Amino acid sequence: MSAILSADDLNDFISPGVACIKPIETLPEDKSNAYEVTTEDKVAASQPPPPAQISLTDCLACSGCVTSAEAVLVSLQSHTEVLTTLDTHRSLHTPWLAHSGTNGTKHACNGTHNGANGHHCGEGKLFVASVSPHTRASLAAVFSISEAEAGNMIAQLLSGPLGLKNGGAHGSDFTWVIDTNVVREACLVAAANEVVTALSPEASSTPLTAGSEGAIDTTPKKPILTSACPGWICYAEKTHPFLLPHLSRLKSPQALTGTLIKSVLSQRYNIPPSQIWHLAIMPCFDKKLEASRSELTSAAWLPHHSSSQDPVRDVDCVITARELLHLAAARNIAFSSLPRTPLPSSQRTPFPDPKIDAFLFPPTRRKNKDPIAGSSGGYLYHILQTYQAQHPGSSISVSRGRNADVVEYSLVRNSETIVKMARFYGFRNIQNLVRRLKPAKISKMPGARVGRSRKPGANGAAGGEGVKEYAYVEVMACPGGCTNGGGQVKVTEVEEVRAAEGIKAVNGDVVVARPGPKEQKEWLGRVDEAYFSGSGSDSEEEKVDRDGDWGMKDVDAPTTNGSSVPGADVVSGISRTHIWNLLSHWSDTTGVEIPKLLYTSYRKVESDVGKKKQSDVERVAGLASSLGGGW
Amino acid sequence: MPPPQNASVITIQPLATLSPPCSSRTWQSTPHPTLPVIATACSDRTVRVYSLTSFTLLHSITGGHKRSIRAVSWKPGVKGQSVLATGSFDASAGIWRRDERGLAEDTQRERAGDWDGDEEGEDDDYQFSCILDGHESEIKSLSWSPSGQYLATCSRDKSVWIWEELEDDNFETIAVLQEHEGDVKCVAWHPEEDLLASASYDDTVRLYKEDADDWVQVAMIDGHKKTVWWVEFEGSEMSARDFRAHREGLSEQRAHHVEQLERSGPRLATSSDDCSVRIWRRKPREGSAQTSSRLGMPNIIRSVAIDEEWFQETILPQQHERAIYSLSWSRRSGMIASAGSDGKILVYKERWKNVMPNGVKADGTVDHSDSDAMEGVENASLTEWVVVAELFSAHDVFEINHVCWAKRSDKGRRSEDEEVIVSTGDDGEVKVWVLEER
Ligand code: SF4
Repeated sequence: MSAILSADDLNDFISPGVACIKPIETLPEDKSNAYEVTTEDKVAASQPPPPAQISLTDCLACSGCVTSAEAVLVSLQSHTEVLTTLDTHRSLHTPWLAHSGTNGTKHACNGTHNGANGHHCGEGKLFVASVSPHTRASLAAVFSISEAEAGNMIAQLLSGPLGLKNGGAHGSDFTWVIDTNVVREACLVAAANEVVTALSPEASSTPLTAGSEGAIDTTPKKPILTSACPGWICYAEKTHPFLLPHLSRLKSPQALTGTLIKSVLSQRYNIPPSQIWHLAIMPCFDKKLEASRSELTSAAWLPHHSSSQDPVRDVDCVITARELLHLAAARNIAFSSLPRTPLPSSQRTPFPDPKIDAFLFPPTRRKNKDPIAGSSGGYLYHILQTYQAQHPGSSISVSRGRNADVVEYSLVRNSETIVKMARFYGFRNIQNLVRRLKPAKISKMPGARVGRSRKPGANGAAGGEGVKEYAYVEVMACPGGCTNGGGQVKVTEVEEVRAAEGIKAVNGDVVVARPGPKEQKEWLGRVDEAYFSGSGSDSEEEKVDRDGDWGMKDVDAPTTNGSSVPGADVVSGISRTHIWNLLSHWSDTTGVEIPKLLYTSYRKVESDVGKKKQSDVERVAGLASSLGGGW
Repeated sequence: MPPPQNASVITIQPLATLSPPCSSRTWQSTPHPTLPVIATACSDRTVRVYSLTSFTLLHSITGGHKRSIRAVSWKPGVKGQSVLATGSFDASAGIWRRDERGLAEDTQRERAGDWDGDEEGEDDDYQFSCILDGHESEIKSLSWSPSGQYLATCSRDKSVWIWEELEDDNFETIAVLQEHEGDVKCVAWHPEEDLLASASYDDTVRLYKEDADDWVQVAMIDGHKKTVWWVEFEGSEMSARDFRAHREGLSEQRAHHVEQLERSGPRLATSSDDCSVRIWRRKPREGSAQTSSRLGMPNIIRSVAIDEEWFQETILPQQHERAIYSLSWSRRSGMIASAGSDGKILVYKERWKNVMPNGVKADGTVDHSDSDAMEGVENASLTEWVVVAELFSAHDVFEINHVCWAKRSDKGRRSEDEEVIVSTGDDGEVKVWVLEER
């Protein structure tokens, strides 16, 4: 088994600080899965605190933000976990066609019983994967192929005839490989709606009661801050709770994909969420932390969820590009030798609901065309374009801030500025954003004699006012955005990965022996190039106009959060009507209101500096054994 | 000036203890860049500003921090006011200001002998002007860059932050450097370039520079066996002031050495838990990159070769028995003072070595410099550091947390250039020492 990652990458991380503790909900045990139990129990039993192996600081550059307990949760999501799960459970490809209830029809374990390793045939699972465009871009840069080809290879690995299905105890594989760009479109439309609604003059400004600052049913305050980056969310919750009222309530594409799949299949097709195993392939480790949030489980949307039921996570496991390569290597599959062509559509298992099938598997690929939209999903840009559509004759002006990761966007018409937004990527820039949003009383030193001529908050000078003017700020923890996520193949690893795959650098692409900052930037440039490689001849042909198929009906704007945005329907190739049609169809199918599906909540996480160090250890120990390596 | 032949001609004599002392531990005392005052960081959450003329307390800065103040740094080059940065165990840094016209007056009045501490009105006092937070845990050290443009802070959270003051009290975080694997103990700026050094519990020293908007590590110094407590650059253009100043009649070899040292630029001194003080030198770049950055070459070109190579030039005579918490490299004489856990103060001086043909030194002692250091050793061994003064139990049984050189300003001053040593102890006392020829 390849060791490129397992050994090395753990050393890349800074071990977590002990200053913060985030309450972690224990997650359901899955008793059918015997793997890793011993390992984790050993961890729990050992006397000295287990060294936390992964912290998310790779992205966030903030050592205090991940607790040991979280590090354990995160380290349980690995390519080994994927293998273990595939080896434990048969894949159910079309469980909704089975008539005998939730366990499917097939009872015999197919494949040989692997006695040596104690593999037992657990209940069948429906395996679903969702893949982020950033992961595809990273692999595309490594293998000098296009992002689309990288996507095809991932699909070949996860569900193709030459992929995972060829090995393992049961030949299990993934039924669907979903492009999160597809679901992102729903996020973009919903994000624009959220901002426009929250900032419209009519928006009811519900006074916030203490403790409800990050609640799901509150309206975010200006400037609204992106919520798609878990590194940033985790930091805000732990360190700057005063930011919670500003956070967009919207789930990330990863989370929304999970909710969509699991809610529809369970509510409409009677497949329990626990029988669906959802793997996400993401650019960073922080996404693992997002996947373990208690807010993102079936408890949040199951209409009749009772506290006696174990909540099931919407995303069961997250792995990164590097881990994906390990997954392949562990099954002796050379990733680079997988076909670069798409799987034949004839072999595709359609999603049982045709409308959602059409949404999830559009005939044309979603592309990230516009570098101006940034490398992290283009929230800001989409929202801005939505505003632009409402203001004919307006134009967008972009100005770079102090460094490449601070960019200000404004929408202007004649000499009037209609709306201003900004992008703040990277921890150091986040610091400056946070400082300027900080209420003056917090930044004052109590008891200090304050200069008469000075404002107490001090930092409120020039910059501060500007930041508060922004309608929306796209905040991402990684400098350079998601294409530079901590789980992407790093410039220092490229050689190694290529060597392991037995391929040579292509077309004069030399990777130097000891890459410095310059090489790193160049490498990131290549990944970005792959990410945006959709741009080209067929630029605007991406729209999927299926109004007819969908049986267009007028959507009643849902009472609280429906689309109430006037202006052109199609913004940047995405039809709002389509998206709202889909969302209401989803809501109808599952009987869950749209806001409950789309939004999530945040909470202040108390730091306990210097107080209960012991409890951290206890918590990890307790957690590890109660989890039993369950997922 | 001929080199001193006898190493121990100097004694360290007490001049004064700053009064009143603090009732709890004091951490660090930093002399004002221009005025005869010194600021002491105290564990009782105050900063005490003492006069170096009368050795009495002028101001107590209180009420800002919630925990021990660990470090203080005066902003250089400010006109019309004094700006002090404080770093605290409460994870924040504070910026304090005081109208300097007032301070100058104090000093005058004080010189005239009519200073009365109780007279001080609010306007004379240091006023809190802003707080910098972001660190996750205790700030251990902070330092303004020589231009005053940047402030570096470091913390137990293993990170080093660089802040830039865009305008008064509007600070931006321009870098968060996470290279260290442990508590970062000390930060220091190069006197001529925007080059930052940090020392850590991970036994390493790291150097950083800006490369096209981003601060990056340009060198790692890995030689100490234990925690590196202190890091400090040599002063600017010291070759005009220390043993190198006297150039007449230098052998070709020695002249070459001086030239090489000048090409390297100011050296770096570090002190550690491993009981050693070490001197590090930058390997001069082919065609001297220093000049190119001074000429303001575009970033793109600079970034091609931003990495630096630093090698160990020598280890100072090892006469400390326990951790050396602090050292100070005199910017007037080039001498180094060190102090630490063993309560001793040592003063070292560099001089030309009288090398016998067989390589044994004139005084028969063994050379302490590491033989595995890179090229330059051959040159380094042309000089030697000797202990010129040693004082035991400077703070009785207590540890010495900090030592520094300051310009002598009291009435007994013997010359414009005379310096005192200021030691800051666990006993809450700050003591001032003079060097006496025996
Ligand atoms: S910026 Fe993107 S890659 Fe980085 S932590 Fe956030 S979500 Fe992950």
